[in-house]
Formats: sequence, C-alpha cells, structure tokens
Amino acid sequence: MALIPESVQALIDAFSRLPGIGPRTASRLTFFLLKNESDAGEALAEALTKLKSETAFCPECFNIMSAGKERCDICDSNGRDNDVICVVESPMDVIVLEQSGGYFGKYHVLHGALSPIEGINPEDLRMKELFERVEKGGFTEIIVATNPSMEGDATALYIRRKLDRLPIQFSRLARGLPVGGELEYADPNTLLRALSGRQKF
Amino acid sequence: MRLKHLSLTNFRSYARLESEIPDGILLLKGGNAVGKTSILESLFYCATFSTTLAQQDRHLIRFEAESEDPAVARIVVVYDVEGKERKLEIRLILEGAADVRRFRKEILAEGRKTNAQSAIGQFPAVLFLPHMTEIIDGAPGERRRYLNILLSQSIPGYARALSQYSRAVLQRNALLRTLGERGGDPGQLAYWDELLAAHGAFLTVHRAQAIQTLASLAQSALLRLTDGREILSMRYVPALRTFDETFFQDSASSGAAKEAERIAAISSLIRTNLEADRALDIRRGVSTVGPHRDEMRVMTNAVDVGTYGSRGQVRTTLLALKFAEVDWLKDKTGTIPLLLLDETFSELDASRRRELMRLLNGGGQAIVTTTDLINFSADFLGRQTVWEIRGGIMDKNPERVPMDSNSAAGDALT
Ligand SMILES: [Zn+2]
Repeated sequence: MALIPESVQALIDAFSRLPGIGPRTASRLTFFLLKNESDAGEALAEALTKLKSETAFCPECFNIMSAGKERCDICDSNGRDNDVICVVESPMDVIVLEQSGGYFGKYHVLHGALSPIEGINPEDLRMKELFERVEKGGFTEIIVATNPSMEGDATALYIRRKLDRLPIQFSRLARGLPVGGELEYADPNTLLRALSGRQKF
Repeated sequence: MRLKHLSLTNFRSYARLESEIPDGILLLKGGNAVGKTSILESLFYCATFSTTLAQQDRHLIRFEAESEDPAVARIVVVYDVEGKERKLEIRLILEGAADVRRFRKEILAEGRKTNAQSAIGQFPAVLFLPHMTEIIDGAPGERRRYLNILLSQSIPGYARALSQYSRAVLQRNALLRTLGERGGDPGQLAYWDELLAAHGAFLTVHRAQAIQTLASLAQSALLRLTDGREILSMRYVPALRTFDETFFQDSASSGAAKEAERIAAISSLIRTNLEADRALDIRRGVSTVGPHRDEMRVMTNAVDVGTYGSRGQVRTTLLALKFAEVDWLKDKTGTIPLLLLDETFSELDASRRRELMRLLNGGGQAIVTTTDLINFSADFLGRQTVWEIRGGIMDKNPERVPMDSNSAAGDALT
C-alpha cells in the first residue's frame, strides 16, 4: 500500500523534474499547496495552463512573446540598433542582457547549444533561421553570447564558421564572465564589463 | 601530511565511525569482508574523489541506508599539513523517488564547497591493493588510470585538462556517429578537434615527462628490491602517429618555456592526426587517436614484464612503481603522501617485505590491513599501533597475537 496518494506523489515528481528543485523542496511545495487554504494552488494551476496557451515564439528572433502578436516588442521597437544582433541560448539570457541596460541591438534566441551527446545538432536549434536573418543583410556586428561552457563555445565557433564569408564583425561576449558561469547568473555590472570588453574572434 | 581524524557515516558497511588516527604506522587486523579495505577506500577517495573499487560512486553508500531519501554517505578527514590543521568533507548523495533517483557528490574543503578539480592534490595518498598488478599486466586502461590518478594529484591543471578532454572526446564521438548515420557537415568537428588537440597535448606532454622521471625513480627502487639484478625502464607509447620520443629526451632545457613549446608541438601533431583520420573516425564512430588510447610499457632488463614477466616479477615491479609514486608525490607536493596498503605483506617474500618496511619507516604515515599478524615480529608489533576490526566495529585494544616464538623468525618484519 502506498503511503502517499498517487496524485500527491505525481505533483512531487513533477516538481522534482524542474531544474534546481530537489526532492525535499518538491515535497515541501506540494504539502504547502495541499494544506494552504488560500488560492495559491488554483493560481498556480491557472498560470501554468496560460504559460503554454498564451505565449508564442517571435517568428523573427524566437524570443517568447504574448500569443497573438506578430512580433515581439524588441523586434517591433524603432528605438534599437538595427545593425547589431546578439545570439543567446535562452529567453532568460535576453532578460538578463536587457536588465544590464548596456545593450540596444536585436536578439536571436537559439533555444539551446550544440551538444552531440544530448543529440542537439544544428538542425535542433534556431540556426537556419539565424543564418537566413543575417544573410538578408543589414547587420554589421554579431555578438555571440552563448554560455562560456564547452557547448556554448562549440556553438559560437560553428556560427562564426558558417558566416565567415560575410562582411560582418564577430564578437564573443562570454570572456568577461566567470569561467563556468552562465549568463543567467551574471550580475549586471559583470555583464556591462563583458559587453564593453567583448572581443573579436 | 598527517591524518588525525577519520569520520565515516553510511560508508560501505559503516553506519558510523569516529576515530582518531595515530601517528606512524597503523595496522588494521581482521578477517575477510569485515570492512578493513573500506577504511583505505574512504581515505583514497579523499585523495582522488572517485571510486577505485566500486563500479560506481553511488555504490559506496551503505546498502541499508541506500533507500532513504536522501541517502547520504559522508567521509570527513581532519589532517595536518606543515602544522596547519585542515578538513576535507565528502558527501555522496542519492535523492529522489525510486524511479527518479539522482546521485551527486559534494566536496567541502575547510567547510566551503568546492569541486574535485580544485580540491585534488590537497590530501595526497598512495593506495596499494593486491590486484593492482593489473597496472603491469592488465589492459592499457589500467596504466592510463595509474598515470591519471598520480598526475591529477600532483600536476596543477591535469585533473581539469583530463575532465575537459574526456568530455570533448564523448562529444566528438557522439558527433561522429551522427555524421556517420545521418550525414551532415564534417566541419562541425573542427571545434571538438581543437579541444582534443589543446587538452590532449597537455595530457600527452605531462605523461611523457612524468614517465621519464617515474622510470628513473622506479629503477632505483627495483635495484634495491632485487639486489641490483633487475634494471627497470618504461616506455611511453602515445596513440599518435609520427610521435618523436627523442623530443622529450632533451633534458638540457626544461622549465615552463620548454613545456609550452612541447604542448604547442604536440597539439599540432594531434590536430594533424585527427584530420587525417576524419573519414575513418566517421565510419567507426569513435576517435582513434589521442591520449585516451595511450599505452605505457614497463620493462626489466629490456624485457616487457607485462607480457613475459613471472607472477613474482610482476609483483616486485609493481612494488617498485608504488615506491616511485611515493617519491614522485613527495617531490611534487612537498609532503609525504599517506600510504594505504591492503594485504600487501602476505604476498611478498622476506627481502621485499624488509624493503617495504624501510619505506614505511621513512617518516610518513601508513595504514596497513592484514588478516593476521603472523608476518610481523613481536618487536615490530610492539612499536606500532594495532587495531582490530570486527563487523564494522573498531577495537582499539585487541589482544595482540605476535607470532609463535617457535616458528621461523626469518620471514618476520623486525
Ligand atoms: Zn523578436
């Protein structure tokens, strides 16, 4: 006989699958929702449902945006540098770079980095779309801000090789970040330094 | 270095063990499978941060505790380096529901979380197990492991280069298989080739340099062990075409500049090898050149011991390699490593035992396991600490059973 009802265990397991949440935290969250008399559980359930149904990827930069819009706010904005494009791994990286207040160009979100072990090859990322965008012309600089990991570096090199023949300046942002650090965890000052000290590669 | 205290929780058969560790030589007496070797294993884990005896690190967690959530095995050592007390703690953690069990380890140096690559080398140790003769006559992987464990503990940057290299090889092999099965742009290999070349060159150069020094240290040891009859030599056989051994024999110039020059040269050699083999590698789905395929041979009197040596010769040669390991670590880390000997004496003859004793009496600290005390003289036992282990319990005042005065005293250690 199971000690914990199936539905409770199911939520614990679902929480455990999230990054940064261990089994203890998963149980704590689950039992909190179970005994909490406010509508925290309902609010969470609703937010989760809306997360998928009311968001979409921007067809230009592949950042997340509200469903029903044609393009995201950044792509739509007239006030940004149209000749610089910054390539990142995830939408979270866009938020971090925006918060740094030091970048005013456009973005392209790859949704991952090359990792053959995990079966992530160029065709599994928004690579083709990036190359098409850049080949259309208009950009004079491409900043590759993938994480300073082995996989992030492999991705950066792959992009550079693919676009090598174009008259465009390449820079790699990751150098100013602590080794092994991810963009997500860098504080705004570190990022500002990294942005101003970005190197051609 | 001096180990002062060992604490184990849920490690192998030990639910809990707290023990001060005496200076000098500690003899652990006990029958088979009572947990003597686990003590050595836990200490060697503090030196290497990976298991030597279990299939996987998670198997080190005590069986009865394994189903707990989380299940935590803990090793804590308190030791002294040049009068400064230090503390190293390792936690092996298995957590999550049965179908989503996750394993991870935490390493804390002076109470602060760190990683294996930074912490390695702080607690240098040499482990001697009976089956380690595989280093001489086993598969090439055993010899690579011998070098990796030793160099990770003593060459700054080696453990990191090894971990980066190994990961890059895995990534490259996965990509080779994708290219072989589905086609695609082989240009994607360029980045991984670059990593293999850079980290691989670091490993190759340090292995080549170390083997030269180790060979001369082991040679002196073997001369002592065989009364000058056997001359040991070692040959490094890297998995690289057109590798020039003489490149490393130029001992007149050494130092950082020479090393950088060697790394640059080997790095371009690895790159050339990888590029030449690209089509072959894609067909096979594995990387065929580089330090993950290195070999090292040990010879005595110019005859390969691994292939032609007798059982006794293999054992004696291993002993010489272990002596070399101790001398190497002493030189590189500036401290005498902790010696961990498992059932080593019973397999050796009297003169080898005496040599081993000389090593043990060299001022370092050692922990020696044995099933009985028959190989040790009463006089020797009188000077050392003897503890007895029975079913995970340490008896610090066991009845001492020195050898029978009627038996031949010739073999005993004095
Ligand atoms: Zn957009």
